[in-house]
Amino acid sequence: MSKTYQAIVVGAGPAGSSAALIMARAGLDVALVERGTFPGEKNMFGGVLHRLPALEEIFPDFWDRAALGRHIIKKGVTFMTGDSSFSTVIESGNFDKTPYNGYSIFRPRFDNWLAQEAVKAGATLITRATVDDLVYKDGKLAGVSIVGRTGELLAPVVIAADGVLSFIAKKAGLRQPTFNPAQMAVGVKALIDMPREMIDDRFGLVREQGFANEFVGCTAGVRGGGFLYTNYDSLSVGLVFHLASLRVSGKTPYDLLNAFMEQPQLAKMISGGRLQEYSAHLIPEGGYEMIPELVGDGILVAGDAAALCNATGLNLEGINLASQSGVLAGKAVIEAHQNKNFSKQGLSVYKKLMDESYVIKDLKLYRKAPHMLHNDRIYNEYPELMCSFMEYIYRIDGAPKENLTKLFLKSAKEKVGLGNLLADGFSAWRAL
Amino acid sequence: MNIEEIFDHTSFTIDRDPHIVLDYAVCTGCDNRGCVNSCPAKCYTWSEEDQKMTFVHDGCLECGTCYVVCHRSAFTRWRYPRGGFGVAYRMT
Repeated sequence: MSKTYQAIVVGAGPAGSSAALIMARAGLDVALVERGTFPGEKNMFGGVLHRLPALEEIFPDFWDRAALGRHIIKKGVTFMTGDSSFSTVIESGNFDKTPYNGYSIFRPRFDNWLAQEAVKAGATLITRATVDDLVYKDGKLAGVSIVGRTGELLAPVVIAADGVLSFIAKKAGLRQPTFNPAQMAVGVKALIDMPREMIDDRFGLVREQGFANEFVGCTAGVRGGGFLYTNYDSLSVGLVFHLASLRVSGKTPYDLLNAFMEQPQLAKMISGGRLQEYSAHLIPEGGYEMIPELVGDGILVAGDAAALCNATGLNLEGINLASQSGVLAGKAVIEAHQNKNFSKQGLSVYKKLMDESYVIKDLKLYRKAPHMLHNDRIYNEYPELMCSFMEYIYRIDGAPKENLTKLFLKSAKEKVGLGNLLADGFSAWRAL
Repeated sequence: MNIEEIFDHTSFTIDRDPHIVLDYAVCTGCDNRGCVNSCPAKCYTWSEEDQKMTFVHDGCLECGTCYVVCHRSAFTRWRYPRGGFGVAYRMT
């Protein structure tokens, strides 16, 4: 089998389908190649789908037509220790008004929906096709070879949206040949079935409202954190670990997930639920420094493949950046077709558009966040400090009070050391 | 929750041809073996007694953790399964 297209997109995730959609709308003959039996089958995330400005421009009614879940009106952060937790929650009326700030979604549904929109616009979706290699003819990139359905797909330009490990970017010589475990995290997640009314009552939600919470201190000292968010009739609960820290910890993701779900406060949130699915995925958390070359001769890199993920510790962004980069890569290919120039220079408008977009601007702004988050105290001592200090504030048992500032400094000195407290505060201030 | 059960809730279409192949001699000489504890799907087992690594690709979640944590390049093959095979998420 050998078929010729005007562009090939590898990977029908948010980056790839966004790229295919915009190119198909411009009249290009596009192949959207996906290794799963359907788009989204291999995909997993653990958080909130944020606003997607690039897609909202294409679909003014995006939020009505996309396959979305609850809109998140309530966001919390919890500092956790063995059997205590201290939470802050923001619930805002503004988060309950359209356009909503974020949604819970199921990737097998959302990603499939987006890919089908690309198909409606005229793209050819080829599923069950794992791209094996890039094909070169006369010294020029000419397409891809695939396994699963064997054969070649030919096009003068390829968009690598093949996810976090991007073997395509590697083959094109655009990314580092090996990954640094310090720049990667792994997320594991349990999907827990629960009746909708139980979720509404338990988390104080009505109508389509949703809740999302992050947790720190729940990873037994491994650098990382936890999350819980509400779907219509299930909860997604999981943990994320920095690989450099997990690797040397001797601990396993599933044992830590089990311990997290057995922590007394967490156990109450999920009790009555039934485990439905377990999943895992890597997250490129190296920030700006991890971004590979975005453009080569006949090739562009978008989404996770380009390590476009913004993890500041408070928000975790990825799908929005993927979709934006996909649209911009698609625009660059449309322009390259007009100019009949698929060289690195002909495609370099992608790099320019990216530099001007919030994607690269935000990653640049937060480029110090990954280093700040490589601080073991954040995951152990600070949650303990927060919990013990708050417990003291609320404990009224007849013992004489101490000055709270003094007490805080005293506990901080014991748990983390004052020098560290100052240094960590400074580092967080600089990074965020 | 019984942790052994957690793996039973994920669906797979298993390919007989493994998408990951290891050179076990490299694992025997490894001083770290971070793959054993880091793999979220428990695909790697190290036997101290036999000084031998065992790898099973059946329950692989295709996350890439082993590919990143292995600092000895023990893989003679690491690729995604053929199209249509491997893990199949429904509700994640």
